[in-house]
Amino acid sequence: MARIAGGDPAALGELYDRHGRTVFGVLYRMLGAPEPAEEVAQDAFHAVWRRAGSYRGDRGSVRTWLLAIARNAAIDWRRTKGRRVEREAAIDEAAELVEETHVDDRVMANLRAERVRAAIAALPDEQRVVLSLAFWSGLSQREIADRTGTPLGTVKSRVRLGMAKLREGLRIEMELP
Amino acid sequence: MTVHPLDDLAAYALGALDADERRTVDAHLETCPSCRAELRSLAEATWALAETQSRDAPPRLRAAIVARAGRRGRVWTGWLAALRSDLRRPVPLAVPLALAAALVIALLGYGGARRDADRYAAAVGDAVGARVVPLAATAGDGARGSLVIPANGAAPYLILDLPAAPAGKTWEAWVIRGDTPVRAGLTDERGVTTLTLTAAVAGGDTIAVTPEPQGGVDAPTGTPVLAGRS
Repeated sequence: MARIAGGDPAALGELYDRHGRTVFGVLYRMLGAPEPAEEVAQDAFHAVWRRAGSYRGDRGSVRTWLLAIARNAAIDWRRTKGRRVEREAAIDEAAELVEETHVDDRVMANLRAERVRAAIAALPDEQRVVLSLAFWSGLSQREIADRTGTPLGTVKSRVRLGMAKLREGLRIEMELP
Repeated sequence: MTVHPLDDLAAYALGALDADERRTVDAHLETCPSCRAELRSLAEATWALAETQSRDAPPRLRAAIVARAGRRGRVWTGWLAALRSDLRRPVPLAVPLALAAALVIALLGYGGARRDADRYAAAVGDAVGARVVPLAATAGDGARGSLVIPANGAAPYLILDLPAAPAGKTWEAWVIRGDTPVRAGLTDERGVTTLTLTAAVAGGDTIAVTPEPQGGVDAPTGTPVLAGRS
């Protein structure tokens, strides 16, 4: 990240080599087609390039920072450029937290992916749906409440419990501050 | 007792908070290491979800990303290159003409308030037993500065004579080693002041002072008013 902040384009290429497939896959899933996924991935990596100096290591890893930037860019793209049809399609498809048909071979080949699959399977349906609408459809808790006719407080507790359970299932250790 | 927004951190990690809720959590995170640690681990859970969807992108995507970065470097990498070629000359006391022309556009409107030149000269004269490196005024606004490296191993500092920072900005000092800028201190002082550098200085480092947003930033965004080479 220091090299990216220092203006070295090759370092941005290395970041892409490590995380580009995941970013592209997330954007593909969120936007429903390869062309907007490519366009938004370019914008997201360029935003990382411009904003590398403001990256805060104490708030999260580089990859989760990149992921947040990419997801925000996708949400913006849908609001400004996405046609209504694409928006609705992306929201319908978000019903499942992991789409079996799109699950990546290389990822599923390793143990970590098995853990992800098991952790997701262990979630109660209502938590899985809420996490999916938040993560893949990019809806806020308030939007989820409006759209599903569920009280906001219920949505919030499902998000909180679902994320806690997912993390527990993934055995991501809570680091000491 | 501090109230931790633990209930909102999961939604924050998912990007599912409204703007006002997010600002509240952001403000709390500034002061709370345990909530930052909690957020980091929740964010890793979102990465695990993301990874399940990884797929090959067209090779042109990587090429486009790298090419765009090469085309449009951040502002400061541009002026750093210009500074380096100008600072190669020893003792850059005067404004290098090419550099001044390159930098002046962004700095119109700074104005050149009269400042206490005598106090500045006296402060530099007091730096006995130290190496004093004059910094070049790179903006044509009458800023003056010198890097002082005490022989006794005390922290290096800058003696500065600065105009008022532009509205909403503060002056930030930088030690740039290779291509990496390190934050070295902030001052809002106008006129003659000293600023102890919070970063170590080695021979060959570039020292610069730029106007930056209040609180400072992690890499320069403004164009320097002073620059020199240690």
